[in-house]
Parts: sequence; structure tokens; C-alpha cells
Amino acid sequence: MIRFVLRRLLAAAILLLIVLTLAFAVVALAPGDPMAPTDPRIPPEQAERLRALYGLDQPLPVQYVRWLGAVVLHWDWGQSYRTGQPVAELLFDALPPTLLLAGAALLAQYLLGISLGLLAASRPNSRLDLGVRVASLVVYALPTFWVGLMAVLVVAVGLGLAPAGGMTSAAAFELGPVAAALDVLAHLWLPALVLGLSMAGDIARYTRSSLIEFQATEAGRAARARGLSETRILLVHGLAHAAPRLLQLASVSAPLLLSGAVVAEVVFAWPGLGTATLLAIQSGDIPVVLAATAYGAVLVIAASLAADLLLTRLDPRISVE
Amino acid sequence: MIPVVAMRLLAAAGLAAILGWGCASDTPRDTTRLTVGMRFEYPTPNELIGPPTLSYSAISNQFFLPLMAEQPDFRDGPPTWAPGLATDWEFSEDRLQLTVRLRQDARWSDGEPVTAEDVRFSWLAQTDPDIPWSYSLYKESITDVEVVDAGTVRFHFDAAGPTALADVSTGLILPKHAWEPRPFAEWRGDPGWFFEHLVTSGPFLLENRTSGQELVLGRNPDYFEDGLPRLERVVLRTASDGAALTNLLLAGEIDVATGLGATDAQRITNQPGLRLIAYSNRQFTFVSWNTRRPWFQDAKTRRALAMAINRQAMVDTIWHGYAEVGNSPVISSVWAHDAGLEPWPHDPRAARDLLAAAGWTDGDGDGILERDGVPFRFELATFAGAPARWDAMQMIQADLRAIGIDAQPRRVEPGALIQRMRDKDFDAAASAFAIDTSLDLRYAFHSRSIPGGDNYAAYANPELDRLLDSFATRLDPSAGLEDLHRLQRILHDDQPILVLWEPLTLAAFNEELESVEPNALSPLANLQEWAWR
Repeated sequence: MIRFVLRRLLAAAILLLIVLTLAFAVVALAPGDPMAPTDPRIPPEQAERLRALYGLDQPLPVQYVRWLGAVVLHWDWGQSYRTGQPVAELLFDALPPTLLLAGAALLAQYLLGISLGLLAASRPNSRLDLGVRVASLVVYALPTFWVGLMAVLVVAVGLGLAPAGGMTSAAAFELGPVAAALDVLAHLWLPALVLGLSMAGDIARYTRSSLIEFQATEAGRAARARGLSETRILLVHGLAHAAPRLLQLASVSAPLLLSGAVVAEVVFAWPGLGTATLLAIQSGDIPVVLAATAYGAVLVIAASLAADLLLTRLDPRISVE
Repeated sequence: MIPVVAMRLLAAAGLAAILGWGCASDTPRDTTRLTVGMRFEYPTPNELIGPPTLSYSAISNQFFLPLMAEQPDFRDGPPTWAPGLATDWEFSEDRLQLTVRLRQDARWSDGEPVTAEDVRFSWLAQTDPDIPWSYSLYKESITDVEVVDAGTVRFHFDAAGPTALADVSTGLILPKHAWEPRPFAEWRGDPGWFFEHLVTSGPFLLENRTSGQELVLGRNPDYFEDGLPRLERVVLRTASDGAALTNLLLAGEIDVATGLGATDAQRITNQPGLRLIAYSNRQFTFVSWNTRRPWFQDAKTRRALAMAINRQAMVDTIWHGYAEVGNSPVISSVWAHDAGLEPWPHDPRAARDLLAAAGWTDGDGDGILERDGVPFRFELATFAGAPARWDAMQMIQADLRAIGIDAQPRRVEPGALIQRMRDKDFDAAASAFAIDTSLDLRYAFHSRSIPGGDNYAAYANPELDRLLDSFATRLDPSAGLEDLHRLQRILHDDQPILVLWEPLTLAAFNEELESVEPNALSPLANLQEWAWR
């Protein structure tokens, strides 16, 4: 197991280096000058000074080596061109909200997807089954930004059932720990649900097909012959059968969740990595774009590795060696 | 069974608590607090290393004050100045010195007095090449800032000029005792340091900051103006997206939002309890015709383009009426605007005639005009990420196609397009300028600004150069009104740029707020006077 993990970590490091190099090359070779002043009252000399300050007056290979060296040796991602903040600090602040949102969305998508899959599998080929299948396809096809906008307009602005945006209420720093936690949860449930919906349909379909498949297996027939209730057969034995496949889906959905988080964060004014990345892209803030790309890659690689390791625990047929 | 029931009850109670917390409540308004939405995160209270934007300055001005503040009376005449940290000022006879007396009652929020040393320290920082400040250009005419005594400071200029007060008042007065320990060369390295060492002399101080989410300003009890600010606390909430900001406003979670999109205006005016204010922001959007390209070399052709393009339709459809058709870079909300100028009418027939007179005909019958074998086909560029301008480019394309001109709209990354425009490596491009009240337009139209500068059209006119130079050196700008009118006429007739529109800034306020007066200088102007009814 340790050898497997080490091998995967080594592969992840190489992959990350490739991602970083490609990202650096793409942004460095793209046309445009991030220091070009858009206001004619700002003299060109000022841009020259800033270029020198950020090392942009050096040849590209020198810039690359310096940048990579600072990242690897000191975890120094440079400074944001837009705000001047150290990028590591900026993303350190933005990462926890994104992890919270993505984690809650993952939970929402599994709870919702598995529930719907169970419902559909309990009455195969019934109207209920058809309804769940159609609904899961529709939900899968709807773009997250549209679902998010509608959710804000109807649920938050129209019905007042949730805050319209943000991670906390105004001046929430004054709240006690319990009230602060409730405040965050009140802001979290709607964006998490919207983000989770995008993959919930997929999970519902996988759950349904796995459960129906299980019912036809010898284990399923044996369970029924032992007189177990249908509910118990599906909930306990069926889901155990479906678990490895559902877990594999988690590693697939991690990158989708992260890209979806960019959209959901913007729509819900959620202060995470997605919002920071979008702002950086819009303003040509190259250090933040590069670091956010790397963070995204690390998260996806980590999710994939975690899913693989869990899979070996859940499914004895799979060996890491 | 009981544990299952208890768990269900607990889950239901938890859900109710979360939903209940998020629900809009009917609790009475906290009249000591105001919540303002903003489209960006405030990165540092040190304006010398902050972003050079109006929204950023609007917040910095709550912490720090300038010596004197420009007044929003630019519609009536040249700019006037009201005391800020200064009480009064006077020029020497030769206007090479300006003596400024400071308020005796101004204090930093840690109790230290604001002194002439702070003024000199601020000037040193503003002009230090290690920082470097975006607007250091304003300080180029100042050769020294002399501390006469603790309450008096004297500015020395290299020449007498009309912008001396603007030059002196641009930039805020910073706390020497708090920030001097950090060398200038290290200022850009850690903008967060200035939050930790923030003492203010303005109406507010910093109460709390949550990265990416909000900035909480509290009333500065030591502020020198009695009874101000009237609000105890102002919460500035961040929402990077315009639609998200509007939704927060409609849901009642923020009381004020500025810089709203025209498409949201209708939703806001329909919402009870909100008031929409539209005000000039001293900007204009225009198309530069590169006069070095064969299509745009003669004024007759450029006038034809102005008449072929339906700018009123842009104002109506893109801006929903929240803009005006422009006809001069000296925009209509500024005192020196020539009200006698009439925008070129939208008249495609007359445009076609003018083009024919200029030698443009469709000789080969392909629907595109030619002259000397050159088809009238060019690239019309604009910034990526500017949706209003992109929509306008589509409308221009359709208007020009109707008279036999093939304009190809293209979006280009802003930094790249600006560089191409400065290098004159473009055909035609849409851009925007914000003018200041000095009305010194040499940067945009003087022939000296052609090589590598912002005279994008590469337009050269000796008479215009003379008028620009003459106006820029007048000590009394109002005496140069005739020059400015003549200058506008020349630009109107020659059309090196076509001014498309003058946009209005849209801001929404809770209608229970009083004394709210946003203006082109700041969306949060006179915030210290705002209060709930």
C-alpha cells in the first residue's frame, strides 16, 4: 500500500510540474501586457518600474526558473498584480470556503442522487422510475449558472428562504460560535444544492442501475429468499454492491465540482477559489491564475488518489499492487 | 424507536434553524448601520499601492483626507476646492509657492496630531520610484514640500501652472508616525501590513476585515467635524459579479449598490423601497479611426462613418436610455462643453453621398466600396470583457454593411489592444476615456502624443496643437473657453474619433437613506452625512 501511495505521489508531482509548466507557458506567451496602464494619466514609466519590480523585464526562461524555484522552495506564488497581496495568502483565504462548498455539494449530490436512485430502483420501469430518469437527465443537462440564477431569484429573492449571496451575513464577526455556524449553514445550503444537482442525476442513474443489477444477482436472490424486506435488500446489500462504482464517480465528479464551483461562487457571491480565479482571469492577474490552476490540479489529483484508496478498502477484488 | 424519532426531531429542528436563520425577517432596521455592496475586494488602505480606480478611492477617502477636495461643480465652471485637512491656502505672487495651513483639530485615530510632517512624508512617498504610485505624474511639477511649522506647509513648483491645486490635492495625507518605520521599497511587498498599522484621520476607522467578504468601517470618534459621521457603522460587502450584487440588493441584504448594469435598472425601479440614481461619470466611449490606414485618411470619409452609425440606437438598446449620444471629448456634463455642437445625424443616404464624393464606389459590384483598388474592409477591435462595447461593435458592423463597408468586429485582451493602439497597429478600435477637470486633452489629441502615446488615431493638426498648448498653460481656465470651443469644433469636423456615448453611472439606494449625493468624483461622496430617516 505504501509503495502504491508513493508511486502515485511521484506521478502526481510529475503531473503537477507538467501542469505548472504548461500553464506558465500559456499565460506568458499570450498577447498583452498585464502592466499596461489603461488610464492615460498613468505614465508608461510607472509600468516599466512595476515590470522590473515583478521581474517581468527578465527573459522568459529566467522568469520561469525563478517562479518555479520560489514555489517549490518557499511556497511563494508571487504577488497579485491586481491587489498586491501575496498570492499564497490570498488563496489560503479563498481555499476553505471552496472546500466547504465543494464538500457540501458532494454530500448533497450523493444524498440526493442515492435517494432518487433508490426510489427508481424500488419500482423498476414504473412511472416513478421513468420520472426519476427523466428528471435526472434534465438536471444533468441544465447549466449550473442558469440553475443558480433561478435559485437565487426564486428561493432567495422571491421567497426569502435563503440569503441571496455571500458566505455570512453582514458583520457576522460579532456572532457567537453557534450563531456563526448556523449563519454559514444558512448561506451554504442553496449554493451547495445547486452545485450538487449537476451530478446528482448521474449518481441517481448509477445507483438505480446498480441496484437493479444487484436484485438479479445470486446475492440479491438469496437475500430475498432469506425473507429480507425489499427496503433492507436495497438499502443495505444493494448499496454495498453499488458503493465501489459510486465511489469511482466521486473521483470523476471532483474536477466537475471544482469547475462548477467557479460558476456557483460567482452567482452566489461565495468568497472562494472560483471567485478569485475569475477575477484574476478578467484582470490579467497572472500569478493568481497560475496558482489557482495549480491548486485546482492538486485538489483533483488528491480527490482521485483518495477515491482510489477508498475503493481498495470497499472492494476486495481490487488490489493496489 | 425512540432514538430514531429523537434523531428525526433533531434533524427537523436543525433544518428549521438553518432555514429560519436564512429567511428574511421583519425585525426593525438597525439605523446605526449601513450595508454597501461593492464589486471588488479592498486590498489595502494604502492608496499608493492600491488599484487606481474610483471605487477603491471612494473607500480610502473614508480613512484619509486630502488637503483640499475637488468639488463636483464642474458643470458650472472650472473646478473649485473645499478645505480638507487644510483650512486655507495662498499662492505667492509668482505662483511658484503655495502656503497651506492645516487644521489644528485634526488628529489621527491614535490621538497623534496631523502635522505638516505628515504632508511632507506623503509627498515623499507619492514621488518615490520604489513604490511607484500610479498617479505620481500629478506631483511632477512640485519640486519640494517645505515644513514651515507643525501647522503650515509650503509647496514649491517648477513653474506657475493652472493645475497647481489639483496637483497638491491629488493623493491623501498619510500617517508618518505609523508608516515611516516601513521603508518605501517594502511597501508593495506586503499590502496587508497597512491594515495592521492603520490609523485614520477621516470620518471612519477600520473595525473589522474578513478577507474576500467584507470590510467593516466604524465611526471615528476623533473626527474633527462635529456630529459626523452620522452612521455608527458601514459594512462594505464584496460581490464580484454584477448580477449577484443586484440580487443582494433586491433581497434587502445590502442597502446600497453602485456601478449597476443598465439591464438591471428596470428591476430596481420596480422594487419598492429602492431608489435609482443615474449620474454622469465623466467618461466617454469612442471609436478611434487610425488615420494611417487608407480607409480613414480623409475627414470626409470619417464624417460619413459618423453619419452611417446609429448611436441613438446604441443608447436606447444597450444602455436602455442611461447614456447620452456623445459628440465631443469635452463631455456634456463639463462646463466647457460646446452646447452649440450638434451630433452628426444618423443619415445613411447622406453618408453614402459623402463616401462617393470621397471617391469610394462599388466598382466590382460585390457590395463593398473600393477606392484605388482598396476595398473598404477593416478590423474593428475592442476590449475582451466589455460587453456593451461588443454589442455596439455588432451594431456598427450592421450599420456600415448597409452602406457598403465591411467592418469585422474583434475582441482583444485589453493590455494587448492598448499596446497595439499606442503602436498604431490597428485599423479601428473602441475604447473609453475618463476626463479630469483640468481638461488638458493633449494626451489624446496632440501630435506629440502620436508616437507610443494615447493619440490612437495618429491625428495631427497644427491648429489643434496650438490650442491644446495654449489652454494647458492658462492660469485661468475659464479665459480659455473660446479656445476649448474652437478645439471641439475642429475635432467634430475632422472626426479622428467618433464619440459613441457618454454613459451614466447607475447606483441604487434604500429610499430610507437621506443626504445621499453620489457624483462623478465618488460613489460614496459625503458618506459621513448619510443617515437613516
